[in-house]
Amino acid sequence: MITHLEQELEAVKSKVFEMSDLAIEAISKAVESMKKGDTKLAEKVIQGDTELDRLEITIDEECIRILVTKQPAAKDLRLVTAFLKINTDLERIGDLATNIAKETIRLNGKPPVKPLIDIPRMAALCIEMIKESFLAFSERDVTRARNVIGRDKEIDELNLQIYRELFSYMAENPHNMSQSLGLIMVSKALERIGDHTTNIAERAIYYIEGIDVRHEDA
Amino acid sequence: MEEKIRAENLTFYYGDNAAIKNINLAIKPNTVMALIGPSGCGKSTFLRCINRMNDIIPNTRVEGDIYIDSDSIFHYKYDVTGLRRRVGMVFQKSNPFPKSIFENIAYGLRINGITNKYDIESIVEQSLKRTALWGEVKDRLGKSALGLSGGQQQRLCIARTIAVQPEIILMDEPASALDPISTQKIEELIQDLKVNYTIIIVTHNMQQAARVSDYTAFFYIGELIEVNRTEVIFTKPENEMTENYITGKFG
Repeated sequence: MITHLEQELEAVKSKVFEMSDLAIEAISKAVESMKKGDTKLAEKVIQGDTELDRLEITIDEECIRILVTKQPAAKDLRLVTAFLKINTDLERIGDLATNIAKETIRLNGKPPVKPLIDIPRMAALCIEMIKESFLAFSERDVTRARNVIGRDKEIDELNLQIYRELFSYMAENPHNMSQSLGLIMVSKALERIGDHTTNIAERAIYYIEGIDVRHEDA
Repeated sequence: MEEKIRAENLTFYYGDNAAIKNINLAIKPNTVMALIGPSGCGKSTFLRCINRMNDIIPNTRVEGDIYIDSDSIFHYKYDVTGLRRRVGMVFQKSNPFPKSIFENIAYGLRINGITNKYDIESIVEQSLKRTALWGEVKDRLGKSALGLSGGQQQRLCIARTIAVQPEIILMDEPASALDPISTQKIEELIQDLKVNYTIIIVTHNMQQAARVSDYTAFFYIGELIEVNRTEVIFTKPENEMTENYITGKFG
């Protein structure tokens, strides 16, 4: 028998998953807009963020209502707290994708200082990690979640590599400064998206096993 | 319809003492309304006004009115027996008849004029299924209801109540004598039943009120202090007294 609590948790879960799909779409389109200099697509990403904001509020309200009216315990309680935190991470991911789209608009028309290779690679990695962390969540697969956490290093390394490369571009030619700084900002946004994704994977582990793996290597 | 039940300026006296004072409260159909408040606040008195159970207590009187589907239930021509058929009641202590499980439900049906054996069997089965009791008792329908556990007896009383198809179910502390598992079953049942009925539940257990109800009304010393959607009452009550009560500062 499915309890009313389980039904309500399932309804929130589908909203959280909907939010993750929107966040993935935002990252993908934002980077695409940057790659192609497509300001129209960038505008769409910015507009789409309001849907993520709306979902964030709905999910928060639903979780608080469940906490107060259903008084979940044990894994149900961990699930609600996980939703509350993941919700914030996804909303922030949406904001960061918006920042990338704004950069596309700011760089409007200017030729890229270099062909974008590593930035789309970073974005693809972020998207894969988000998908994997949600798969870990729904399949209660801790190994999968731990793999996501491990892969954050790859993103950090790509970020540093992009930094180094762009610094040398700026040193070579000060006219590259504005664009290079823009790309650094984009890279940083993707690096932050990786961090939020790691948080999601950590929340999945907390939900599945009740273990807090944050700051394990601190 | 917007309202199933509406109390208007309802005051109820035991002798000279007003147990509830000037209550105005509307209850929507197919919702669960929880009445909470400290002992003696009048919540049970209010509940018992809805099917005029208080009529049988001597030296009491009512001012104001209660409307069910816009009909005044205190009107002198109102059919009180019909009212109690429309408004079922479940008490704190389960009170099955000292008869078989089957007869506990069939009895009320016969009184209500249902005599066809197959109809009765069918309604008994449906009622027991709706209260999630069928699986537990189907092989011993002829056995005494008194042999059931407390939780099963209470669900049997609910089955007996819904068998005669009331529109409203009043529940006075229906789970306070039950263990947590039985309580959980009753609470799940309440939420299943609201699809077909309007339910009013009196409970001392605030967490239970939060779990089962759509709306919560807070009573204090005979007055209705605040009524609102349950999640609002338990997250941001408007009245300080409500806040103090639900946070355990008094009561």
